[in-house]
Amino acid sequence: MGYETKTGAARRRPALPVAHHLRWPLGFTAAAATVFLAYYYLVPGLGPDGQQFFQTWLPLTSVNEALVWVICALGLNIVVGYAGLLDLGFVAFWALGGYTAGWLMSGFFHQVNIHVFGGGLPTLPGIHFNFWFVLLIGAAFCALWGVIIGAPTLRLKSDYLALVTLGFGEIIPQVFVNGEDIGGFNLSNGTKGITPVDPISFGPVELGPFDLVWKYLIFVGIAALVMFISLRLREGRLGRAWLAIREDELAAGMMGVPLMRTKLSAYAVGAVAGGLAGVAFATHVGGVLPDRFNFSISITLLAMVVLGGMGNVWGVTLGALVLAWINSTGLPQFGNTFNESFGTDINFPSYNYLLFGGILVLMMIFRREGILPEARTKLVLREPSRTEREALGADMEESAPELDEALEAEDAEREAVAAPGTEDTEDGLGEKAGSTV
Amino acid sequence: MTTASQETPRQAADAPPKLHADNITVKFGGLVAVNDVSFTIPDRSVVSLIGPNGAGKTTFFNVLTGLYRTTSGRVVLGDKDITNLVPHRIAGLGMARTFQNIRLFGLMTAEENVKVAMHSQLRSGPFHTVVRTRRQRREELQAREFARELLDFVGIGKFADEYARSLSYGDQRRLEIARALALRPSVLLLDEPTAGMNPQESARFTDFVHRLRAEKDLSVLLIEHDMSVVMQLSDRITVLDRGEKIAEGGPDDIRNDERVIEAYLGKSGRGKSA
Amino acid sequence: MAATATTVVAPTAIDRKALIQRYATYVILLGVVIWLGANLITSPSQFFSASAEGFNLGMLYALIALGYTLVYGIIELINFAHGDLFMLGALCSGFLLTTVMGQDQSNLMGWVLFLVTLVGTMVFCGGVNVSIEFLAYRRLRRAPKLAPLITAVGMSFILQFIGLKWNGSTPKQWPSVFPEGSFGIGDFRVSYSLLVVVAVTVPVLLLLRWVVTSTRQGKAMRAVAQDQDAARLMGVNVNRTISFTFLIGGALAGTAGVMYQQVVGTTAYNLGFQMGLIAFTSAVLGGIGNITGAVLGGVLIGLIQGINDGAPLGFGQKWSQTVVFTILILLMVFKPEGLLGRPTTEKV
Repeated sequence: MGYETKTGAARRRPALPVAHHLRWPLGFTAAAATVFLAYYYLVPGLGPDGQQFFQTWLPLTSVNEALVWVICALGLNIVVGYAGLLDLGFVAFWALGGYTAGWLMSGFFHQVNIHVFGGGLPTLPGIHFNFWFVLLIGAAFCALWGVIIGAPTLRLKSDYLALVTLGFGEIIPQVFVNGEDIGGFNLSNGTKGITPVDPISFGPVELGPFDLVWKYLIFVGIAALVMFISLRLREGRLGRAWLAIREDELAAGMMGVPLMRTKLSAYAVGAVAGGLAGVAFATHVGGVLPDRFNFSISITLLAMVVLGGMGNVWGVTLGALVLAWINSTGLPQFGNTFNESFGTDINFPSYNYLLFGGILVLMMIFRREGILPEARTKLVLREPSRTEREALGADMEESAPELDEALEAEDAEREAVAAPGTEDTEDGLGEKAGSTV
Repeated sequence: MTTASQETPRQAADAPPKLHADNITVKFGGLVAVNDVSFTIPDRSVVSLIGPNGAGKTTFFNVLTGLYRTTSGRVVLGDKDITNLVPHRIAGLGMARTFQNIRLFGLMTAEENVKVAMHSQLRSGPFHTVVRTRRQRREELQAREFARELLDFVGIGKFADEYARSLSYGDQRRLEIARALALRPSVLLLDEPTAGMNPQESARFTDFVHRLRAEKDLSVLLIEHDMSVVMQLSDRITVLDRGEKIAEGGPDDIRNDERVIEAYLGKSGRGKSA
Repeated sequence: MAATATTVVAPTAIDRKALIQRYATYVILLGVVIWLGANLITSPSQFFSASAEGFNLGMLYALIALGYTLVYGIIELINFAHGDLFMLGALCSGFLLTTVMGQDQSNLMGWVLFLVTLVGTMVFCGGVNVSIEFLAYRRLRRAPKLAPLITAVGMSFILQFIGLKWNGSTPKQWPSVFPEGSFGIGDFRVSYSLLVVVAVTVPVLLLLRWVVTSTRQGKAMRAVAQDQDAARLMGVNVNRTISFTFLIGGALAGTAGVMYQQVVGTTAYNLGFQMGLIAFTSAVLGGIGNITGAVLGGVLIGLIQGINDGAPLGFGQKWSQTVVFTILILLMVFKPEGLLGRPTTEKV
């Protein structure tokens, strides 16, 4: 039995992992700093053409928005990529985070007048917390909701779980849309949303709508924090338990992993990232509008996670940046350019349905490990199955016709041997009993 | 990390049984899968559970490990009543198992597979993991050493960084045992461990269980179809047929038991070689 | 094994969790019944018309839910794209009947062309569904469960895109060939279109029942649902059987699409998402994998929604999604096997 593929894996884990662990953070910092310097010094110094180019193809607002997507996608990655729980309603956390910012950083609750290092004059009505507090509160609030949503549903089978999360993803935004009069109480200002949300402030300094470069720094910082936490958790006890659940839930339970608690923690940690993204997004656009929080957000996030490679923090980050840019800038601008050049009138942004749907389908069929796969996934998906015997125990494999035939032959053989004796009904009891078509 | 009571060495002579199951009955709807089976595993012994296909062996295993709930009856591990506890609690109390059809964490390395089973022994929470406190680092280091030790013990130490999926069939079986041992169990349940092995591999497995018993303080409960393995290893054998216990005793008693032969071969099957 | 099965087990006392779940289910059902009763007493005529409306919807849900349940029963996949298939059916119906054949009023010719459209749309949707299975799901049959699920979600988006290009981004109005008006006594009215829906749906359901229980293909379907490998060994062509299941599911979605387009008269590209989710809830309510359950669940959900939207004590239309999804979530938590389904355990 050959072990020819093991060299790559064996070298992957050096005894002293320091250098390995420093490489990525340094790279990230360098990239983030380059972008910052470019927008701070370089772009303003460019001629009108250069500025125009950046304004069209890579405006800083779309970079900032992409960072918000990164934060949120990393949260979803913990739930889907690490713990293997398909969540189709992640937009709920984004919305909850957004409304936390809306409630605590605006004049919406004009009945009261609370200021905690917040922006605006102390005489302004409403609740005005400082951005950083709101970030913390939003994260905690979403973690709480992660547990509330997770607790009753995590017992379910994976596909049912997907559906229930989807249900929550629909209910929570609908509550906000219809929330201007819940028993006489205006919770969310209905479809009008809550605007404006206070700008980010540091003591007396406030970031105005044009201080995008500084907002960029803040968002990059939050994204870096979420990435760091994701990576660190992955290496530890909790991360191992998550992966074990993803790989084989039943076996994980049998090996002493408390399933409910571990899954709930995945939900809570993921929701924290969703909440951070929600608060950040509210300050990015300066308001909260409920019609933004629809199902396609959840799917876009899922596409980001799938495209980059489920479970791989760097892949997901890259996937989120690319897709967010395509969605906000790339597709419309490409459309404009294309239509101008060829005199056509094609509505390119409407193609994002095709794009995201296509990404999900094609990635699942042809490259399940993602564009930038986690080392382990890549290795396994590339590697041919050794023998049929081993393949019997393997859950994750490509379908190979010749293998099917081999398995069939073997099954037939075993069945033929077993047939005259007693049937092994004991293990199959109840299985598929529900599917009485 | 284990509780003190488990670490104290005990003499096999008149020590209380490690595992004790009283009148276990399991019903699925109207089907009785296990009917009123009582059963004990003495300290540091190897007990086998045999019987024809569909006799309820795996169901019985699943009850012991908490996967199925008993309809009635009681399971006691050491001095703790573990009846109908959730699986991870039972595992934490020192009951470990392998699976009939291997269930490893395919996309995790062998070492990680073993470390997963240490979950209940490790204490570092998410905060310690993120900040990487001294305590967490020390704990991870210990976990790593213990994992390597176990992998060496089962003989696949050189594959510690391999993905479980890419190991050969036999090595996957070994890894499953290493993973189970990481729970520091007092009772180890092996579900058809030699399935798919050739005679030489089975023989090596028999040696391995002898060694396991000599070096680790634990009892083994074995489901096995290979009678030569069963006869060589077992101190006691329990025979199940159609959910009921039909015989119990040492290998020699079982070999000559009328009911056992009947259960295996059927009434008309007499005279055929076993 | 079966020989020893002498006694029927009563719910065991130790199983407290099951007991709690059982009672919670009763409480929820009781709550629904009380709510219905209160509505009935408050305004019988509104209750009646809302129920009729809901029953109408429920028939459509039942048709769509069957597609979910058949596919889930056979390959344990929630086919997220199924709702969007229904939407394509509605578009196809309008396209064939009004755009191609130019029929816009209710007369004899209208009925003939309606039947042509019905068959055409069934074929179209069945074909689309089979192609989806062939192009995508079939390749992922051995993949971990997450992969086909995500693929189904992606497929749903692709179908929505097709709908967007076909229908346009705004809702489209269509003329109906169904007779207008209603009949009845006093305030208790039933619209003629409901009659047509019943007249089409009931035979279709009976036909389906006959196919599944009495034909060779139906038996093959049940065999594959029980155990694919064993069915294959017994000479069942598994691939063809699964394709056949998708064909039937698609045809049913097509039927629902035609009905919807004719009764409601408005189509939109994102129609399928909501309808699909509600229909799936129906399938789960009835017990997924169970044909009778899907119909029962569909009608129940339809009634609940109709009464919520139309009756005096309802929350109103803007909350109807929330109501349905709350039912879904409560159901999943307390009775995931549904009304007619049976619980499942995992094999070790």
